[in-house]
Amino acid sequence: MTFVEYKQLNPFQKFAYNFKKFFLNIPGALGRFFKGIGKAIVKFFVSIGRGFKNYGVTFAKGDWATKLSYLIFGIGDIHKGKIYKGIMFFLAEVLYILYIVFFGWQYISKFGSLGTVETHQVQDGIIKRTVFGDNSMLILLYSVLTIVITIVVFAIYIANIKDAYRHQLMRANGEKPTTLKEDAKDFLDGKYHITLLSFPVLMISIFNILPLIFMILIAFTNYDKAHMPPGTLFTWVGLQNFESLFDIVNTPKKATTFLELTEWTLLWAVIATFSNYILGMIVALMINKKGIKLKSLWRTLFVITIAVPQFVSLLLMNQMLQTNGAINVLLTDISHLFGGTEQVEIQFLNSSTFMARATVVIVNIWVGIPYTILSMSGILMNIPEDLYESARIDGASPFKTFSAITLPYMIFVTTPQLITQFVGNINNFNVIYLLTGGGPSTEQYYQAGKTDILVTWLFTLSMTSQDYGLAAAIGILVFIVCATLSLIIYNNSKSMKDEEAFS
Amino acid sequence: MKKILAVLLAGMMAVTAFAGCGGQTTESSGSSSGSGESESTAIEVKDSIVDESVFGDENNISLKVWAPDKAVALVKQQVEDFKAAYPGKTFTKIEVVAQGEGDAGTQLLNDASVAADVFSFASDQLNKLVDAKVIADVAFKDYVTQENAPETITAATIKDTLYAYPETNDNGYYLVYDNTVVNEEQAKTLEGILEACRAAGKKFIFNCGDGFYGCTFAFTGGVKIDGFEEDGVTQKFTDYDEAEAVATLQAFSKLMHDYKGTFTSLDVAQIASGFSTGTLGAGVDGSWNTVADQDALKDKFGAAKLPTINVNGTDKQLISMFGYKYIGVNASSQFPAAAQILALYLSGEKCQEQRAEQLGWGPSNKAVQEKPVVADSPVLQAIKQQSENACVQVNIAATLWSPMGNLGNKLIAEQTNPDDAEFFKKLLKETIENIRDEG
Repeated sequence: MTFVEYKQLNPFQKFAYNFKKFFLNIPGALGRFFKGIGKAIVKFFVSIGRGFKNYGVTFAKGDWATKLSYLIFGIGDIHKGKIYKGIMFFLAEVLYILYIVFFGWQYISKFGSLGTVETHQVQDGIIKRTVFGDNSMLILLYSVLTIVITIVVFAIYIANIKDAYRHQLMRANGEKPTTLKEDAKDFLDGKYHITLLSFPVLMISIFNILPLIFMILIAFTNYDKAHMPPGTLFTWVGLQNFESLFDIVNTPKKATTFLELTEWTLLWAVIATFSNYILGMIVALMINKKGIKLKSLWRTLFVITIAVPQFVSLLLMNQMLQTNGAINVLLTDISHLFGGTEQVEIQFLNSSTFMARATVVIVNIWVGIPYTILSMSGILMNIPEDLYESARIDGASPFKTFSAITLPYMIFVTTPQLITQFVGNINNFNVIYLLTGGGPSTEQYYQAGKTDILVTWLFTLSMTSQDYGLAAAIGILVFIVCATLSLIIYNNSKSMKDEEAFS
Repeated sequence: MKKILAVLLAGMMAVTAFAGCGGQTTESSGSSSGSGESESTAIEVKDSIVDESVFGDENNISLKVWAPDKAVALVKQQVEDFKAAYPGKTFTKIEVVAQGEGDAGTQLLNDASVAADVFSFASDQLNKLVDAKVIADVAFKDYVTQENAPETITAATIKDTLYAYPETNDNGYYLVYDNTVVNEEQAKTLEGILEACRAAGKKFIFNCGDGFYGCTFAFTGGVKIDGFEEDGVTQKFTDYDEAEAVATLQAFSKLMHDYKGTFTSLDVAQIASGFSTGTLGAGVDGSWNTVADQDALKDKFGAAKLPTINVNGTDKQLISMFGYKYIGVNASSQFPAAAQILALYLSGEKCQEQRAEQLGWGPSNKAVQEKPVVADSPVLQAIKQQSENACVQVNIAATLWSPMGNLGNKLIAEQTNPDDAEFFKKLLKETIENIRDEG
């Protein structure tokens, strides 16, 4: 279809065309995505091969000091007069060896089995004393630490060789190595970004990356209520946790729970995201309309809900929606006004699945749209006025102005925000946990209720039934779903493909 | 220059790791110090006080005690008495810290090396603590067994080892009623209570949706818990007659539906407020809320064991979940002997009597149970009678609570048809499967 043909279609045909195109594009997008991954993997292995080649070539071409650097860090640098750097390389090696000998080895050596000696008790006089054996959790944790340190030290090792060879070449060319003073100056000038970033990177590695690797590894162990350190050991079980989430034959309950909760999680994420988005947009448009008086008053009124912390509103809502809560009392009073005698006792949260889910969605709209209104108002006020002016001169109707200017502009600006909200809703712990606690309960699920989403189930699994391995596996799956969806949607959005559209 | 960064990174990581290393060394050296006592014969105990030689070479003792918030002041005073009872020993510091009994076990499991040496906990956590081997067994087993009610000893004994010092015999729920609405005779049957409440236009609260209360339905039907299977984590049930269990569940469900609007499932926190606003006729409330209920009802306060329910013509006593509170000793305590001696003292007759008087806790000590403070209290009597019709809250799987809560929810749910026996059969089967984590 040519551009001219497209322009002649009516809006419905245009929509149908775009709709079709979007879905036809998905296989292609997925294909590109996996092709990209494949390319990256090939590139990675090629670079490793090149690394090995350089490693050998450098050794062949190096002088005695460079060759010795292959065993003792920093010798090459010291020999070429770059004393301070050589000493630092050397110190890194010494520290690493000390670390492994005195600390790392006792854990990393048990990494394969996660410990063999169970905790037991011995009689010591009248008092029985507990002798702690291997602690699988600490073995796993410190092994991860040791592996990360080893990778870093390996990087230092390679850097040490490269540096030694570089200085060898410099000497051959008659150049002198830079002094400590010059290097320090460089760190405040040309390499200032390194100075600034080193601390945050270090902290992220310690507080984010390390625990993340640790948690991911737990998904492949049988760390659960029957295998609790320090009393008992846990060990590797491969993909068993993942299997139990999909194996409808051997573990029907867990598999049903997982599949049905995934369904509800995705449904919830879609409904919650778009209901907030569309309703927030409508309210923002109404407030922003020309001729509306006291605009800032309306805006403030809506935003006031943000002033109360979300979890407080949610807990209050939970109380109000109880069988004897404020809402039922209010409904009873109203029914009495009209001659009713019965007490109204609607079970909002703990009886019917549909009722509970609808209640959650509505309460989420109530706590959520102020944020949408806030950002939408900002965007609406930023749309260039001349666009509307020219539309008016050309005789465009208000609906046409909306569908041709306002809506595309808003979608263009807010696609990334929509993605974050969608992912946020997949992991929207607060609304579900504080409002319903997962209820209404059911015997069809394992440790979950009808409004539980995957993260709240994960929480119950780790906090009450102590199925840490299973919970970690669910966490990984949730991450995979979120990451794939976000990447595909974002890469296909206008905001990504056509950055300049509205500038 | 990336290399310098790399060096720094590695250096700092190594330092962090070494810090962890240092911590561990102190810990292990701590647990290897101990008493020089070598003979394992029974030790003579009199009035919960032992000879100072039992301390062995422990001196300059420093201990930490966990007690629930309400009891901290009293325990502090009892600790002072304890110090005075052993004038020959120096106590550097005995710290009393507030820590709820409900999650003391979890806190201890999180990091036993910084937790209290002596701690109060509820009986349902005992199994977890024994499994993790963080609780030391009782050094004065003979004396403790002889002093305390046998059921509290049985509940704390696993494979012939007594693991904790009994502290109370009251961790359960019982019937509280407004004696102007429900009379003593009506309070004996569930039907009577509901009829009386409906006649007065008041409500009856039973928190069906909480597994702690909801398990009553299954227990009354004969589906009782019986510790663990061999694996130590799967809940074991006694043999039961399915027809009888289903009939009982149906009877409960029928009452709930017949008395819709009177029989309500609400949080127990609503009971005291319901009494003070006068909307409530009776409720099943926990022993820890007794003071609040008494304040709300004043002289209208009535207490009794749980009522009976009529199942196909026979009156069946409601069976409840009933727990005890214990004092445990941390297995990694640096002063194991002193910790045992302090636990012995705090669980002794004198301390239990003080707690019964000042906090209203039901004692486990046989001598204190005979004293007027217990014998004359209708609440403690009701609790004691209920404890004879109860499943003991020990060796409970973590997966018990939510399926039992669901069971209660389903009984009272509007959609449930009390006459549909098949539904209850399936519900019971799935509930037990969920608790036992089968499938």
